[in-house]
Amino acid sequence: MRQAGAYSGLLCGGVSGRTGPHSLPLARIKKIMKNSGEGVKMISGEAPIIFSKACDLFIEELTRRSWIMAIQGKRRTLHKEDLASAVIATDIFDFLITLVSNSDSHAVGGATNVMEVETIDYS
Amino acid sequence: MEDESHNNILPNGFNTGSTESPCLKTSTMTTQHNNNNNHQNHSNKEQDRFLPIANVGRIMKKVIPPNGKISKDAKETVQECVSEFISFVTGEASDKCQREKRKTINGDDVIWAITTLGFEDYVEPLKTYLQKYKEIEGEKLNIPKQLRSEQRLHQHQQNHNNNHDENNNQPFNGAYASSNLISQPPYVPTDQKFSLPFSPNSIQNQLRQQEQIDSVGHWYE
Repeated sequence: MRQAGAYSGLLCGGVSGRTGPHSLPLARIKKIMKNSGEGVKMISGEAPIIFSKACDLFIEELTRRSWIMAIQGKRRTLHKEDLASAVIATDIFDFLITLVSNSDSHAVGGATNVMEVETIDYS
Repeated sequence: MEDESHNNILPNGFNTGSTESPCLKTSTMTTQHNNNNNHQNHSNKEQDRFLPIANVGRIMKKVIPPNGKISKDAKETVQECVSEFISFVTGEASDKCQREKRKTINGDDVIWAITTLGFEDYVEPLKTYLQKYKEIEGEKLNIPKQLRSEQRLHQHQQNHNNNHDENNNQPFNGAYASSNLISQPPYVPTDQKFSLPFSPNSIQNQLRQQEQIDSVGHWYE
């Protein structure tokens, strides 16, 4: 008698079958976690599940704040510059400032960004 | 602010302790060397370093107006930001595990790290989400007995949060409004034990629809 559609609506707003009930693939999240540092040894099954929701909330918040920037610029298309503006304007996004400021960020690894942030902290 | 500065000190302290690691040594080299070393150290394909752009784009569209558009470079930037978010939180959780001499990062460590790094608003939705996931999956995950008892004690609060979460979801998921309304009964604990409440509702809906059809036909005649 259970209706899966109702649950999927509440949990993640409709998803393709590949990610099951989550909106983001758990295996990919786990891989990113493992690559985040040498200290990461083992990861429980719960952690990627929590991250799939946390990333959903993070993307929503970042997009919402970026959209406000686009609207203030009298535009209806979200651009990279709107994201940079939102990151600069929001305290909890400070860890992203180096990343959004680097125009070739796709070529730079996450570790470098982290180290650069550390350098800034020391100065 | 004070809490944030306090939190910043601990990670730096541990990072200082790890200055011997090769990764940190490369930070003194030029950018090119960093890129080369990163390329060697992280041989993963580019697509493995980010979440799929289609999933990211779909989530972004949920929170902007229907007539809004999202450029490709914006989606790519968010892809990178999300990976950075995962690494940032995972690093904090990993540091906590090392301090406590544990080897496995679990869900509570992630939630603790998210709270510590300033994303307190995410904590209640995350706990609600995890609770629902466990109910649906029949607790396939291994959970210590203490956690189980704690969850039972807080079940009432979770249900209250569920109602709140449901209200929040309605504005953003207009397409699921009807299903949300239909699914309200399952979130009352006592009703969960019985499947009967669904049948009468669906039958009544069908009867109402038939009545509407009949009335329309009659009016037409």
